Amino acid sequence: MFKELLKLERFPTIWCPGCGIGQIMIQLAMVMDELGLDHTNCTVISGIGCTGRLAGYMNMDSVYTLHGRTLPVAEAVKLVNPSLKVIVVSGDGDLASIGGNHLLHAVRRNPDLTVLCNNNQVYGLTGGHAGPTTPRDTRTVSSPAGSPYDPVNLQNLMKAGAKYFYAKTTVYHQVHLRHCIKEAIAWPGFAFVDITSQCIENHGRRLGFNSAYEMLLHFRKTYKRAPDGAEILGPDEIGIVRKG
Amino acid sequence: MKRLVEGNEAVFLGALKAGATFFAGYPITPSSEILALAAEHAARDHGFKFIQSEDEIAAANAIIGASLAGAKSFTATSGPGFSLVQEAIGYAHQAEVPTVFVNVQRVGPATGMPTMPAQQDILQTKYGSSGDYYPLVFYPNSVEECYRYAITAFNAAEESMSPVILLSDAFIGHLNEVVDLDAIEVKVVPRSRPPLGTGKRSFSGLAHDEEGNPRTADAEVYRKWLSKVKARHEEVAARYSDFKFKGNTSSDTLIISYGIVSRVIAPLDSEFALFRPIRIFPMLGPELQHYAQGYKKIVVIEANDGQYGCLVERELKREVIQVPLLGGRISLGLAKKGLSEKLGREVH
Ligand SMILES: Cc1ncc(C[n+]2csc(CCOP(=O)(O)OP(=O)(O)O)c2C)c(N)n1
Ligand code: SF4
Repeated sequence: MFKELLKLERFPTIWCPGCGIGQIMIQLAMVMDELGLDHTNCTVISGIGCTGRLAGYMNMDSVYTLHGRTLPVAEAVKLVNPSLKVIVVSGDGDLASIGGNHLLHAVRRNPDLTVLCNNNQVYGLTGGHAGPTTPRDTRTVSSPAGSPYDPVNLQNLMKAGAKYFYAKTTVYHQVHLRHCIKEAIAWPGFAFVDITSQCIENHGRRLGFNSAYEMLLHFRKTYKRAPDGAEILGPDEIGIVRKG
Repeated sequence: MKRLVEGNEAVFLGALKAGATFFAGYPITPSSEILALAAEHAARDHGFKFIQSEDEIAAANAIIGASLAGAKSFTATSGPGFSLVQEAIGYAHQAEVPTVFVNVQRVGPATGMPTMPAQQDILQTKYGSSGDYYPLVFYPNSVEECYRYAITAFNAAEESMSPVILLSDAFIGHLNEVVDLDAIEVKVVPRSRPPLGTGKRSFSGLAHDEEGNPRTADAEVYRKWLSKVKARHEEVAARYSDFKFKGNTSSDTLIISYGIVSRVIAPLDSEFALFRPIRIFPMLGPELQHYAQGYKKIVVIEANDGQYGCLVERELKREVIQVPLLGGRISLGLAKKGLSEKLGREVH
């Protein structure tokens, strides 16, 4: 049962009702259950942010690292114990902004890690500040006139490596999300799953959404499956691109 | 076997003797030899893991991950690199992770004088990260001691479940001395915590209760945790109350110095009493008080502008005469000149 992989005694979680992180956690636990991953063969490592708190709800040894430092910690864990499945779960700000240098070098070194990036396009925990994935012109607490920059292109960043695995999915597309997590865990190298999700309280409402449900419907409307074997994902496509 | 060994090499060999199997670091003078030795060793012995990190922040976090995964781990850095690892040192204290940070000091701030020795990171060593914490810090002054105290640092880390700092400097790090390291007997404390992948523990930098549950708004739980950690560190520190004292009944002045400076001013023993703390932190309060008793004047000579001196003053609750040796020139002549000025008489 996937519920045995969660520390239910720590529930309710700290997350706002309707937050997308819970979905990522449930889907991850379901995949782990299916693959036989548990406290004897797996560890979850997260950074700081709302997403980072996920590690503490997993019923296995987990590490909630410093802000941005998941990858150096995870790489070292994997190097010391290669038989351990090491799964990193963190926010887009944590991985791509303060941890950006580590991401760049993880792409280069290609360690055998699975990374689930909760891409809610904002710094959720600090109250809705713009981050590296915030789309241009989006209003946030720290970009009241709209963010002046284009977001970081995570797909291209991942493809900077000679070998790569990049999956783009959303919390609305649950079957696809599960599929991506499974494929990423099976990938023998650095596998990055870019999961579009909703931060309703510190972002969605400011954008005019009334509920998390409305945000999910927006994901359904926006994102289409990329054709099988696609080598590049368009901005509104979900799918997997990889090169081994 | 007796042979010529460099200070930095002795630190590395001490780490190996202590059972270290993981090193991560980023090159910086004057600590780089330790990184190069780790790289060479990893190429020969595949049980030893090495990462040349993208920066010191990555290295500091990697040794934390390696420790949690079951390896005795360490990094070595200097100057600006030591500034970059401060956040991780705080994390290792909060998450109770045993590991070792070696800081081979050079003149700062910032890039400063990269090849010149200094002792300017004393207060940063004690207070550099955010929050209250109680670091164990050792500062050897010879090649043999570099070896001994590297081992001690790893032992104390396991016993205190915390990051221990081994201080050195550009002078000690590059000092060559003939030693027989094989003849040195030091006990090695085994790993204390089961590795990741064996339990259901949450390691984190959040304040937590005994079970590791996050308790981020409970002052009572926090105070209990902090006093427990403080007591543990004091208990471990007490096992390593290491210092050297050389009394001088014809002198009314006690000179306190440590590391490279204590080495350079050793010939002053004919004129003064000398006290050298090796365990720099927690400070050797009772020992300092005991040995300072018979002396009218207390002098602290150090290669910074009074960093340890102010703490000694606080510890002894009496005025301390400070003789700073600045700019990487650490010589007996300069020490005598400073002493002569401060004591108002010619020191020979
Ligand atoms: C060194 C440091 N700087 C800043 C912070 C404050 N901080 C906490 S979480 C966070 C951003 C979180 O955003 P993201 O990674 O996108 O995660 P989310 O909360 O959206 O899940 C920041 C800036 C911190 N904890 N540490
Ligand atoms: S602030 Fe946003 S990201 Fe954080 S828990 Fe609430 S909805 Fe989720």
